[in-house]
Amino acid sequence: MRIASPEDLDAVRKIGLFKIQPDRPRIAVGLATCGIAAGGNELYDRLGSIIREGGYDIELTKSGCIGFCRQEPIVSVTIPHKPLVLLHHVTSDTAEDVIKGVLQEDIPKNLALCRVKEWDHITGMIQYGEGFETIPDYHEIPFFSNQHKIILRDAGFINPEDITEYIAAGGYSTAFSVLTGRDPDSVIDEVKRSGLRGRGGAGFPTGLKWEITKKAPGSEKFIVCNADEGDPGAYMNRNEMESDPHMLIEGMLIGAYAMGISEGLIYIRAEYPLAIERLRHAIREAKSYGLLGKEIFGTDFSFDIKIAIGAGAFVCGESTALVASIEGKIGRPHPRPPRLTDSGVWGRPTDLNNVETWCNVPVIMAKGAEWYSGTGVRGNSGTKVFSLVGKVDNPGMIEVPLGTSLHRIIYDIGGGGAGGKRVKAVQTGGPSGGCIPERFFNTGVDFESLLTMGSMMGSGGLVVMDEDTDMVDIARYFINFAASESCGKCLPCREGLKHTLLILNRILAGKAGVEDITLLETLADTIQATSLCGLGQTATNPVQTTLKYFREEYDALIVQDLPDGGR
Amino acid sequence: MDTTGHTVTITINKNQYQAVEGEILLEVARREKIDIPHLCYESSLSPYGACRLCMVEVVTCGKTEMTTACTVRVHRGLEILTDTPDVIRHRKILLELYLAEAPHSDVIKAMAIRYGVTKTRFLKKIVTGDPLLGRCVLCGLCVRVCNEIMGAGAIGFVNRGPYTIVSTPFLEENPACMGCGTCAAVCPTHAIGIEDTGEKRIMRSWSGTPVEMIRCAGCGGYIGPKPVMEYARSRIDPVMAEELQELCPACRRKQVTR
Repeated sequence: MRIASPEDLDAVRKIGLFKIQPDRPRIAVGLATCGIAAGGNELYDRLGSIIREGGYDIELTKSGCIGFCRQEPIVSVTIPHKPLVLLHHVTSDTAEDVIKGVLQEDIPKNLALCRVKEWDHITGMIQYGEGFETIPDYHEIPFFSNQHKIILRDAGFINPEDITEYIAAGGYSTAFSVLTGRDPDSVIDEVKRSGLRGRGGAGFPTGLKWEITKKAPGSEKFIVCNADEGDPGAYMNRNEMESDPHMLIEGMLIGAYAMGISEGLIYIRAEYPLAIERLRHAIREAKSYGLLGKEIFGTDFSFDIKIAIGAGAFVCGESTALVASIEGKIGRPHPRPPRLTDSGVWGRPTDLNNVETWCNVPVIMAKGAEWYSGTGVRGNSGTKVFSLVGKVDNPGMIEVPLGTSLHRIIYDIGGGGAGGKRVKAVQTGGPSGGCIPERFFNTGVDFESLLTMGSMMGSGGLVVMDEDTDMVDIARYFINFAASESCGKCLPCREGLKHTLLILNRILAGKAGVEDITLLETLADTIQATSLCGLGQTATNPVQTTLKYFREEYDALIVQDLPDGGR
Repeated sequence: MDTTGHTVTITINKNQYQAVEGEILLEVARREKIDIPHLCYESSLSPYGACRLCMVEVVTCGKTEMTTACTVRVHRGLEILTDTPDVIRHRKILLELYLAEAPHSDVIKAMAIRYGVTKTRFLKKIVTGDPLLGRCVLCGLCVRVCNEIMGAGAIGFVNRGPYTIVSTPFLEENPACMGCGTCAAVCPTHAIGIEDTGEKRIMRSWSGTPVEMIRCAGCGGYIGPKPVMEYARSRIDPVMAEELQELCPACRRKQVTR
């Protein structure tokens, strides 16, 4: 069916609601890549065969990921008029216990993580019910209670492969009201007033970029979603697309309408096969409901999204290299200007935004700029999703208001160092970021504060290091990554990073003298100042910050008075 | 980019110069004999900005920002500093990197000496059997001229990062190469080897691709590579008289003036 009226939308919403809250028990297995890696597929199959063989009246379905990596595989159980219960560490061996518990309305205590009485999808509220008082409430779990979910509002609660569940959570109703009742320029104005800044890492004001693209001369333009997330330890965008693909599509649809653009592209890395599959499925679904394609919602606005798959180069996340890759050319950046907003894909004005940036758009339009900018800090409104990984007790996908302190993220949500070890530092912003020592954990995570620390927001990877971590080795790890991902176009990045790596290897092998440290510093400075694109300009941040904050670890490796000067 | 044709005044190292709006800064500097070293710039190709040697400082409202002179377009009031201590400091490091990357290039050595850089602190590339003779600096001029000007696309970049080299696809002989030798003509470090054996031209640097040469119908001497001659003839308008096509320039002159 094609949705063309509020009544149509409401009819689909009812179908979806009945899937989320059927008149019988529902079991949903968290099946994003992380859940699958933890054994989710086997568990899903096992649950399925038990239900089939027993002939039980239970609905079995998939859900996205709620982000608590440590507790995977995670299963949610809904019994009519009872709270939704999240189960953790469920395996094929305990699958029978789950089914038994569901049938007897008595959830096994050892498997229960928490209960959810009602869930605020922001675009809609879902009431589950009362009961199961002995199971801790969602808000009593520090990992959850210290978060503020806006972008991840649906992740783990709806089936990402079913558009009706997204619509049941209030999805596409914002796009409907925008396309049928808002002036495009007022949409851009709303996004500008919300203070939304690019979530890919650079933090450029999104509304302004939209306005520049719209004003650029030419009638044929593109909007592109950058889903080439490639930082080691970062998987925010992957989870956003795997758990809630329609959120991205709705965001792009609203943006396209605001800018008057009818062609959209999602540039996604080939290493994300599940995200690609779910996006393709979601695009097909959206088309069949008339939410993409011609005359969307019965208006005269048309918009379509195509998927472009990358071939595995980190540098293709850089805007000009991304465009080259889409055009089938070698993924190398070119000097800006011209910027993409003047000359992007196939030379046409192009608006490029990160996955998470697009995902913010539906809520901004649903709740308004004032509501949105009420979260976060001045100049940094809204929330940011982070992947909290490394030597932290509770690794996971988390969402907090911008400006939240590193301390709160790492200790209150993350539970401190893994196994009770002392946390030494955190790397923010991936290979382009820097290592911030524990004594500066009162720093708030916002674009400017992190830059002041010599690091950066990046796309949102937070890698925690504990007392056992060798900071020089960490610097080597990131330089090795950047050097092997350098495209090779400009000298400082191509040769400079190679020699940075060689010097670091020499230091770690105990074969370096004081002059090597000096050379390392000098070289890092030149690479930063003279590289062509952002990859090279920021690649030495891990070296520079570890030299700044952990100099003693370098000094300890230096051999004084090397007989042959270290060579 | 729009070249409006207006003459504007710009400032380079505190001196004022006239330039055409939209012109590439490096062109102005060349014309005015202001020395800015560079390896990857060629006026007939689109700006590339890869060698990073032409980094200069642009002064805007008292603040300076480093950028490449080959990508800056001239506009009214543009203020440039070409040899500040920062620029020189970075340029010296870049030259040290080039000395390590292309240890056999005399051009690089001479360029470095002008900045007082006589040796490199970086590990020099070990050169054995390199078809580019340990001289290639990956400026990309050969690749770009082959693609953008000749339209042959016979060579390209292979691998990425520090493993990047310039070669033919799959490092095999490439019949797309016309043997024109434009690549060698633009190479700033004389890295590209071409060998003429008489009936064949061997592109030593391009996987030994052989190109057939044609003889002059008059004197019997070799005129040039067959594919280049065919390409050139197909583009001459009006068409050259058939009896002249097979002749070398000297024999052609004789034929015409007879």
